[in-house]
This record gives sequence, structure tokens and C-alpha cells, in this order.
Amino acid sequence: MSSKIKFVYNNNIIELENIDPNETLLNFIRNNLKKTGTKEGCAEGGCGACTVVLGTLKNNKILYQVVNSCIIFVPMIHGKQLIIVEDLESKKDLHPVQKAMIKHNGSQCGFCTPGFVMSLFSMYKNNNNYTEKIIKDSISGNLCRCTGYKPIINAGKELNNYFKPDKFEINKKIDIELIKKIQNEKKPIKINYNNKLYFSPLSIKELLLIIKNNPNAKLINGGTDLALTVTKSRKDLNSLIYLGNIKELNYIKENQNNIEIGSSTPLIEIEKFISKYYSDFSEILKRYGSYQIRNIATIGGNLGTASPIGDTLPILLSLNALIITQKNNISRKILIKDFFTGYRKTKLKKNEFIKAIIIPKNKSYIFRAYKISKRYDDDISSVCMGINLNLERNIIRNIIIAYGGMSEKPKRATNCEKYLNNKNFDKETIIKSQKELLKDFNPINDMRASSEYRKNIAKNLLLKFFFEIKKNKNIRIYD
Amino acid sequence: MIKNNIESLFTENLPHDSAQKHVNGKARYTDDILEPNNIFYAAIGWSKKSNAIIDKINLDDVIKSEGVIDIVTYKDIPGRNDVGPVFDGDPIFPKNKVEYFGQPIFAVLATTNELARKAVLKAKISYIEKKPIITIQEAHKIKSYIFKPKQIHRGSPNIALRDAKNYLRGNFSTGSQEHFYLEGQICMTIPQEDNDLIVYSSTQHPSETQQIISKMLKIKNSSIAVKVRRIGGGFGGKETQSFIFAAICTLLANKTKLPVKLKIDRDDDIIITGKRHDFFSEYEVGFNNNGQIKGLKINLYSRCGISADLSAAINDRALFHIDNAYYIPNILVNNYYCKTNTASNTAFRGFGGPQGMMVIENIIDNIARYLKKDPTTIRKNNFYKKNTNNITHYNMKIEDNIINEIFEELITSSRYINRNKQIRDFNDKNNLIKKGIAITPVKFGISFTKNYLNQAGSLVHIYNDGSVYLNHGGIEMGQGTLTKIAQIASNELGISINKIKISETNTSKVPNTSASAASSTTDLNGAAVLNAIEKIKNNINHYVRSKYKISIDKVKYRNNKVIYRNKIFNFNDLIMESYLNRVSLSSTGFYKTPKINFDDKNFEGRPFYYFAYGAAVSEVIIDTLTGENKLTQVDILHDAGNPINENIEIGQIEGGFIQGMGWLTFEEVKWSEKGNILTHSPSTYKIPASNDTPTKFNVKLFKGNNIEKVINRSKTTGEPPLMLSMSVFFAIKDAIASVGDYKIIPKINAPATPEEILSSINIIKKNL
Repeated sequence: MSSKIKFVYNNNIIELENIDPNETLLNFIRNNLKKTGTKEGCAEGGCGACTVVLGTLKNNKILYQVVNSCIIFVPMIHGKQLIIVEDLESKKDLHPVQKAMIKHNGSQCGFCTPGFVMSLFSMYKNNNNYTEKIIKDSISGNLCRCTGYKPIINAGKELNNYFKPDKFEINKKIDIELIKKIQNEKKPIKINYNNKLYFSPLSIKELLLIIKNNPNAKLINGGTDLALTVTKSRKDLNSLIYLGNIKELNYIKENQNNIEIGSSTPLIEIEKFISKYYSDFSEILKRYGSYQIRNIATIGGNLGTASPIGDTLPILLSLNALIITQKNNISRKILIKDFFTGYRKTKLKKNEFIKAIIIPKNKSYIFRAYKISKRYDDDISSVCMGINLNLERNIIRNIIIAYGGMSEKPKRATNCEKYLNNKNFDKETIIKSQKELLKDFNPINDMRASSEYRKNIAKNLLLKFFFEIKKNKNIRIYD
Repeated sequence: MIKNNIESLFTENLPHDSAQKHVNGKARYTDDILEPNNIFYAAIGWSKKSNAIIDKINLDDVIKSEGVIDIVTYKDIPGRNDVGPVFDGDPIFPKNKVEYFGQPIFAVLATTNELARKAVLKAKISYIEKKPIITIQEAHKIKSYIFKPKQIHRGSPNIALRDAKNYLRGNFSTGSQEHFYLEGQICMTIPQEDNDLIVYSSTQHPSETQQIISKMLKIKNSSIAVKVRRIGGGFGGKETQSFIFAAICTLLANKTKLPVKLKIDRDDDIIITGKRHDFFSEYEVGFNNNGQIKGLKINLYSRCGISADLSAAINDRALFHIDNAYYIPNILVNNYYCKTNTASNTAFRGFGGPQGMMVIENIIDNIARYLKKDPTTIRKNNFYKKNTNNITHYNMKIEDNIINEIFEELITSSRYINRNKQIRDFNDKNNLIKKGIAITPVKFGISFTKNYLNQAGSLVHIYNDGSVYLNHGGIEMGQGTLTKIAQIASNELGISINKIKISETNTSKVPNTSASAASSTTDLNGAAVLNAIEKIKNNINHYVRSKYKISIDKVKYRNNKVIYRNKIFNFNDLIMESYLNRVSLSSTGFYKTPKINFDDKNFEGRPFYYFAYGAAVSEVIIDTLTGENKLTQVDILHDAGNPINENIEIGQIEGGFIQGMGWLTFEEVKWSEKGNILTHSPSTYKIPASNDTPTKFNVKLFKGNNIEKVINRSKTTGEPPLMLSMSVFFAIKDAIASVGDYKIIPKINAPATPEEILSSINIIKKNL
């Protein structure tokens, strides 16, 4: 095992020996690289001021992915290319993204600007044309309190007028070679920094061995939830096992009946893949969090965290997904409806990890999903609902209704389902079934929504679903 | 319409002076200034109770915590233990009682930021809790007020109410708002010889920072230099709320004689600092069949939090704007300053103005719905007029009224009437999704309402190579004031802006400055810079006239030339020549706003130099099953007078609008019953994001001049545009009204969150 973290920076390989595994990338950039363009706005991945780009090698191409440097630990960027705002300009010239921002008055106080520049840079590199929708989605994880976003959106549109290759295009070959050089070493990593341990295995076999020897270690994938233990609760994570470099856990495959997703697969990839089967699922993933989050947050992390407000969970519940876990050499399958046992609690036993999730294609079912939140972008749901219906000649043969935000865990509306099954799919039945929801749920009041409102929208979403199916079109205010 | 009879002095719409540095990461904020090698880092330990006596406080584990080198409590404060700007009431560290959740109690100094933040969590504090007062209603019930209630009145509201054809009563509230400047509160203090201090603070008010530190340490103002190159957003949240952090940081630096940085974590920032005042009002209004208000009585309550801070002036501004653009012949307002166990509420863009204006806009909207008329008509029927109905309720004659013209022009350019009709057609055909539209006006008074604040100073040097150093009291917080004032200097000297050195705001350069606030920064400081330049020009002129025997008064500075009718100098040559002939090329400048005077006691006079006007049309779509909503189109026509920099003004208008929209729609500050703030992070408090900006967002400047002698006859755009967003709220209300076929007046408060909207819809449905 190697104790060195290596990444590509400015066409060089940077090596760090036994670095503190709790050190955030943001602090590293500001304190060690001594570059202060990357800003701390919130230290929890919610504002985008700390956005940097990680170049990730995929199919011999570099994907330029934005991440929040404030909640990513330095060792997690091993084998990637780091790009920060200071790197964008070449010797004599600003990057097209920077020029466009100046031309359209995209900055006022300027504090959020480096983050926006990096998000626009990532968009510029990963797309060929820049529509208003693409631009808005690309910057939806960056908050600006001054401009109202219009000039930044205009700067994004301006990029349609730039054609010359930027310096990263010119240097691409070198960077790819350097990344490959690191990856070809194929060594798992073990860091020991003042007894703070960090492991990055490359295979399930290595993972099992590490778990066996470090039974109290925490598993980390994107870390978008776990990292807050350090940045907000101010506690140390003394033993971490990073799953992000295990290829066996990062995949999407399908057969005629099922889609199988490795637990370390980032949500961004699921969102792209799943749209042809469950477009509403994809839409909700788009609003699950910012690009910065979706680029690294994983389906396994979402399941393992078992948050009552994790947006993928009610959807997976409604799709009747199957979870595959492993402990030592034993693998088991758990139906998702049995998986969540309480507030952030699951059936997972100590040292058992999630390997994959299987989503049935269920082509004969009608699926819809709804997310209600205060803000459209990057907001936690008041209520999130997944609903999956098997209808035969207007008889409800099977219906699965699941909600997030309605209980201490993501949960199915079993009473309501029972009531509806084998009944006529008509308005009267639906309205009667709304009452059953009150047997299923007694949601809490919190800063996001009152119990009353949650119950109201849970009921109304059922009705909305009915109208949408009956009228055969979506009735929504967002395009 | 006021004729546009003045050509703009400014032909170039320059970008923000720091635009390039913003985009390449080279612009330095306080956290980016090169730290001294031996710097240490501070963190604050704060109260976990909102109203309690501190029973025992044990900081042993804090002191023993890794990396900690010192600690400060109230015992370490040699002088004034208060950061209250006008009145006392904001202790730096309280002695034995805490009055809000988040109130600082102590601070530590450690070798790293992380260790300091870890250490403060180890304090063991036991409290004897008392029942906290959290809401306006709780405070009012037991008469918990910061100041005695205030009453203002004109005419005979009681008689007018009795005699009016129609009568309505009701209540209304607007919510608080977190500033959410992207750069959190921060300070770095570096001790100097003679116990002097250099303080780098992210503040809108360096002079008061200096004064507060001076009183805290019992040292002279002259021993403290506060420096600010730029701040990462302020919006009022760094007008006074920065003081406590500067004070604590400097207290530690002074005690240890070490450089100290205090950078506040986002959650702590939101928990510790005050926000926009939320307001509650009860009203009775009498009006005729044209919707003209005849008599109005209002009880106006604001949540001030635990101390006075700026609440008096903020409530005053609410009172000054309770008319918005409407003539109200008979009015009585009782104003209550509710004292609660929450962080002391403070300045926020608009400074009470938006809260006052929302009260009257809601009343007007209700009158229209009561009379079943288009609210636009009722608004117009109540507008101030040019020659009659032009005296405000505080007895100021409005001389620059253009609201009627702006409204008419916007109604036409936005196709309001047509769209309104289309929306009603749409609503007839759609049950679940509804649309709404509204147009609202803005009339906003410009000047500090505390008269003495309407002054500014500057310092201008011309070096003998012709380059210019420019300094004044204005703080750059994104509004572009440094750019605009540099443009003013460049224009006045007839030289390129590249020759003007924009410098950090520094209390050693210009003393006794006012906060960069009240939208007045460029008006005041720009005029002070003009004054300094004028003095230098006089010096030069004096020399030229005696040396070349020229008796011309009119001298032009243009295109790097100084032109005396037939005699033309190169600017650089003349500067060098002046230097060689011992002419002073440096000057201070000063400005005080003319014409204003106000009698606080009788609440009458002229508090404002001028008014800024504007209007906006917003169109929304709502989902009647969920309360979700979306702003689909905005058309704005705003009055910036004859603008100095059109791009910068438009940026202020767009940004102010979206910020106001956030306040009135989904930005929601929530407290628990015990007074713990629940929305203290970006995951729980949502400011507008990119998809909240409407695709159709048309902003135009109204063509006109300021009738007062402000530079270039311009008008400020700092705060006024925020209130254009009122149109969003009333468009939502319009959409809700459609659920009851416009027959029932919707009951809805701000913020119009999806939850509030759905609840409003459900009330209508029950009454159908």
C-alpha cells in the first residue's frame, strides 16, 4: 500500500505523503498552495463559492467535474487533475469564461465569482452549446446574492461565440498521460496521519480485508454528508475507507428486466442513464442537489445514510428496488421496503456494506415522482413522492406509493396502497384513499414545512397523479 | 415628464473596477490578505439559551484544548463592553445573563482556525433559564418594547374612517430576512508599535468600528486604523453587525499583542447576527368608490430583537414609506418596537422602507379586490400628483414626482392590459394551474434620516507624474461605488480612468465617515471627491493665471489637456510644472447634503434630498395543489436619473429585485419556541438560485434627470430596486384570487412560501 496521494496540478504530478485525511481540499488550496481565489462561503457544500474542477479520466477523455472543495478531503482527489480559478488564465489572456463574465458584468461584490467561473468552465468544457437551461442548471449550485444571476446567465450564452481551443484543450494530452501514470501504479492507499487512518482500496477483496482489520472504520464515498462531521460538528473522522476507487462498485448495467447500479456510482451518472426508463426519477435527481454534489454523491451513500429526506429513497421504494449487500464473503439481498428501520437506521449490520441496487424495469407500470420544496434548485424536499401503478382496464392491480419527508424514514403508504388495490382508478376512490394516508403518516413540523402542509401535499400529490394519468399529460409549473 | 436636457458626463459604461480580479481570483478579501507569520486564530463560544442567567461557567477544558493559547471573557474588556452603535444594549460579552440564542459569551485564540473552533465547543456552561419572548405578539402582550411606542398622524383619520363610503380592516405581516452575504463576517487585527492597531474588517462602517474599538480598549481613535479594500457583500448586514467581531478579534490581539484573525463560520454568522425586522400590522382603512383612501389607521409592530441597534431609524423609515407613492390625507400610525429574545435585528437593504411599503400595497390590493377593480387602477387613483395631493404625511412637499409617468409608460411597454386579459382567460380554462400578474410602484426617499450622517470626506493626491490617488469614505461592497467615483474623478480631471488609483477605505486617510448605507455612498463620497479636485484645480488655476496672465474663469479638463481658451496644457506637463512651482497638488474634500432638515419630535420636515422611483410588472404561475410557484416574466422601468454607469445601475436593479423576491417568497427565517434559530445554513435557509431568475427579465431605465444637483443629475440605485419585487408577491396573490374567481380577497402574508400559498388557497376553497 502506498501512503502517497498524487494528483495532477498545472501539468505536474503533486505528491503528498501522509496528509491529514480530514484536511479539506479548500483548506489545502488556501493554506498549502497559498492560492486564495477559492473562497469559503458555507463549509457545507451549499453555496458553491469554493467550487473547483476535478479532471477525471474516463474512456481516455477528461471529464471536467465541479466539486465543492470545502467538503471533499484531500486524499479523495488522488488520480485526478485539480483545476482552480487561478489556473484558468494563460500567460497573456483570460479564459473565455472569464472574458464573458467581465463583458456581461457578471460580478458585483465578486466573492462568489470564482465559484461561478469554475462552474461555467466545467459547462464550457463538457458541452458544445450553451442554452439557457444548460447554463442555469450548471450554475444552480452557486449562490450569488448581488446580481440576480441574469448577467451570469448572459455570460454563459456568450460562450456560444468562442471557438478557439482553451489552454486545457492544448495541454490535454500531457494531463491524460500524467493521470494515467498515477492510475497505472494501481496501488491501494493507506494513510496514517497521527493515528488518523485513511484507506483507499481498489477492489472488493482489498476492501473486505481492510474492514476486517479496521472494524470501526467509516465508509466514505462522495462524503457530502459525512464530511460535515469535520467541517460543522468539528469532530475527527479517525478511520476512513474511501470506496470511490473500487471499480467493481461503480457501474450501471442492465438486462431485459432490471437495471443494476453499483453502490459507488455517482448520482450524475444515474440521472443520465435512468431518464429513458423513468424520466421523473431523472428530473428529481437533477434537483437532488447541485452538480457539485451530484458529481460525487453516490446511490450507496444515499441508501446507507437512510435520511428521511433523501430524495432517491422514496423513488426507489416505489420502484420496489432490491439492495445487495455484503459482509465478509456473504452477500444478501434486502427488499428496499424492509431496508429502512428508523431515523437514519437500516438493516445493515456492522461491517456490512451496500454493493449494488437492482431496479426493476416494470414496463407495464406507470411511474411518476414529485418533489415539493421551497426553492426549485438544490433544496431539501418538504415532501418527495414516488408512485408506481399497474393499471388494467382502469382497475388498480397494484400501486406502490412512497414518501420522503413524511416520517422518520422513507416509507410506503401501506394503508393507502391496500385501500386502492383492486379498486377502480377514479377520482372518488382517490379522494377516499387520501384519508388512508393519515393512518400511514404523522409528519413533523420543522423549518421546512409544517405537519399540516406535509399532509396536505401528500394528499394532493395523489390527486395530481390521478389527473396527470387521466389527462395523459403532466400538470406542472416547471418545464 | 422631466426633459432629459442634460447630456451625460459619462460616455463609457466601464465594467466594475475589480471585474478582472474577481474572475481570476486575484481580488483580495479580508481572508485573502497575506497573513503575518505569527498569526493566530480566534473562535467565539456563544449562548445555547435565549433568556437565562449564567449559573456556572467552566472554561477549563477550553483552555486545555489542543492549540489554545488564550481566552477572553467580559473580564478582559478594559473599557466599554458594548458595540451598540447609537444606544447601549449589545454587550461584547455579557457578564451574567444571556438574552438570545447565539449571544457571544467568550472567545479563544488558538494556533489554527479548526482548533479554535473545536475548543469553544468544550465550554461547560450551566444556565438558569427564564421564559423567552420570541414573537412580536408575545412581546406586545406584555409591553416588552425597546422604546416607547411612537405615534404619527395627520388630519382626522377617525372622522375620515367614519365618513368614508367603504371600510376594511385586517392585518398583515412580512417576514425577516437573512443577509447571506457570500463573504461571512471576518476581521484580522495586527498590533503595531505604541500599542496601535491595524484592523482589517469586512464592514460597511470603518469609522464606527474604530470608535467602538477605541471605547472598548480605552485608547484614542487615532491609534486605530481600520482598513477595507472591498467586502464580499453587505446589504446592511455589515453596517453594525460586523462590530462585535472586530471588537472580539481586536480584544484578543490587544491582549496578546499578536496578530489575530477571527473568521466566522456560516452557521455561527447566521446564528449570532441580526437580520431584517419582521413586521406585523393591523389596519383600518376608509375609501371612496374609486378606491381613494380617505382615512387610514395602522398599528405597526416590528421585531427588534434584544437591543436598539438601528431599530429606531429603521422603524422611522418604515413610517416614512407607509405611503409608498400614495397620497393619504388622514392617517394615524402607532409604531411599536417589540423587544424579543432574538438577535438584534438590523439594517437590511431598504432599512424598514420595504416593510412599510408592503403594508400600504397590501391595503391598496385589498381595496381593489373589495371593489372588484383592477388594483392597477386603484393604485393610480391614489398616486401623489404634481401640483395637488403632493404633501407627504410628514409634511414634505414632493417636487420630483414622476410615478404617474413611469406607471403609464410601463403599463404600455409591458403590455400589461393585454396580458392581464390573457391571464384571466387562461385561469378560466385551467383549474389546477393558475396565473397572476401585478404592477407595483416604488417611491423611495434618499438620504440618511439622521441628518448628521449626510456628510462625507475625501482625499485626493495628484503625483507629479500625473497619476492620481483617490480615497474617500465609501465602501465597495459590490455596488460599484469605487468604480463610479473613479469615473467621476477621471471625468473631472479629463484623464483616463487608468491614471486614477482606487485605494482601500482607510480611517487614517479620511476620518469620521458615515456608513456605506442608505443608498447614499456614491452621492456623498462622489461629491466630496469633486470638492477635493476642485480645490486642487483652484490651486493650479491660481498659479496658471498669475504665471501666464490669463484671466479666464472657465477652464476645461478634457482628453489629458487643460484648456484655457487659447492656452492649452498637457495635463502631465501642467502637473509637473505646478509641482516645480510649489503648487499644492493634494487636497481633502468635504460634502454635506443641502436642503434637508427634519424635526424628529414632530415628525415633519424634509428628511430626503430626493426620491427615487420605479415600477415593475411581475407574472407568476402557481400550482394550486402544492403551492409551488414560478416567476415567469418581469418588466421593470426604474428611475436612475441620468446615470453615471448604466451597466452598474442595471446590475443593482436586477440584483435588488431578485433579493427582494427572495424576501417576499421563499426566504424564511424560523425560530423554535425557545428562540433557537432553526434556519442557519444554506441547507435550511434558501436564497434565490439561478432557476428563480425569470427567463423574461426586462429592465429599462426611465429617461429623466434628478432635479437636485447630484452629480450628473443621477440617482442612486442601491436600495430602491429591492422594492420592485413587491410586484411578485401581489402577482402571487392575484393568482390565488383566481381560485375564488376573484370574488374573495385572499389572506396571505409574506413570505409567500409554497406552504403559505397553499394555505391561502385552501381558505378560499373552504369559503367557495
